[in-house]
Amino acid sequence: MMSFWENLGRRVIQMLTAFADTIVFAGRVFIRIFRRKTYSSAMREVLLNQIYFTSVQILPVFLMVSIIFGSLLIGVVFQLLKEFGITGFFGHVLMGLIVTELSPLLTVLLITLRSASAINTEMAVMKVNREIKTLEMFRIDVIDYLLVPRVINGIISIVLLSSLCSVALLVSGALFSWLIIGMSIDVYTNILLNAANFSDILIALFKCAIYGFFITLIPIRFGLRASHELTSIPIVVSQGMVNVFAAILIIEVLSLLTKLL
Amino acid sequence: MQLFLHDYPLQAAPVSVDVPLISNQDIYMNIALIKEYHENMPRRQAQRLAVEYLERVDLEHIAYKRNPALNPEERFCGMLLRAAMVKDAMILIDQPFKIIPHLKDIQFITTALKKIDDLYLNCHIYDYKWMEEKYGEL
Repeated sequence: MMSFWENLGRRVIQMLTAFADTIVFAGRVFIRIFRRKTYSSAMREVLLNQIYFTSVQILPVFLMVSIIFGSLLIGVVFQLLKEFGITGFFGHVLMGLIVTELSPLLTVLLITLRSASAINTEMAVMKVNREIKTLEMFRIDVIDYLLVPRVINGIISIVLLSSLCSVALLVSGALFSWLIIGMSIDVYTNILLNAANFSDILIALFKCAIYGFFITLIPIRFGLRASHELTSIPIVVSQGMVNVFAAILIIEVLSLLTKLL
Repeated sequence: MQLFLHDYPLQAAPVSVDVPLISNQDIYMNIALIKEYHENMPRRQAQRLAVEYLERVDLEHIAYKRNPALNPEERFCGMLLRAAMVKDAMILIDQPFKIIPHLKDIQFITTALKKIDDLYLNCHIYDYKWMEEKYGEL
């Protein structure tokens, strides 16, 4: 019986320590973002490349997924609103649920699947190949050169792609409101503008920035935990990805709590 | 090697199998990186310089290749040029015959060093005593 409580206590302490370590590490990286010295020519090049890999290369697939998934979802929601006779609330449903909640979540899931896993593996491979040690030997700061550009890219990409996803969803909304309810574009725009809540949009953008920060930081952190053995790569990648999804859930819950309070 | 790095922290420029080229970057980017990071040299200028130095050792054709695609000689020259990019570089070549295992003597390495002798202050080669005969009169 005692060993059960001991094990549980040890697990909890380990979890809390790991959480505290991640927060401290996040603080260190966050401070570097605002340091002018961080933005060397080499770092700016990495940042541009990362933005290209994360935001530009994914665009066709991202737009396609947003339009298909968004259209289907909006179609179902509109159909339900019509069935229950509450089409008057569709502006609030569209802005409050789909634009401020669903599009950031859809975006972060797609970027996590595509880029966060790639970043996690890239860092682990660099560690195994002793490339991280190489950078240190040439006095290249790993946080400035590798971490900060990826984290900034995460923030920029999630904010921009989430906004793009919202636009795609709103366009789908216009189409379905015309098809299902027979609403004109003018009326649709008017209802949307009336339903738009500036603070909700601000919270959604802030949430996207937080998502972007953590879905790049956590994979990097776990990637750098790899040992010098190839077999450590799958272990740190799976640990990193599980933690990223846990972080997404925590951020989502916190943002919902912010809305409720 | 650790002692050398400790004694000359700003000038030490290692060339060793334990200090590999960054595998997700082209060779010219590996070489340009040092100037871009330490001297904040604009990207294009640093990369032009890297290609120019590769031309000096007759290896301009490897500029857009990556580490796994190189043969040992090309890899050594890439590492050497990267080390030479350090300001007032004191190059430390650690066990060169481990980087290019099939070399019979030090001729290839001294020739490469001579081609870029204006880029570094001095060069130290560390190896085991039993490899002495490969170095001849050097």
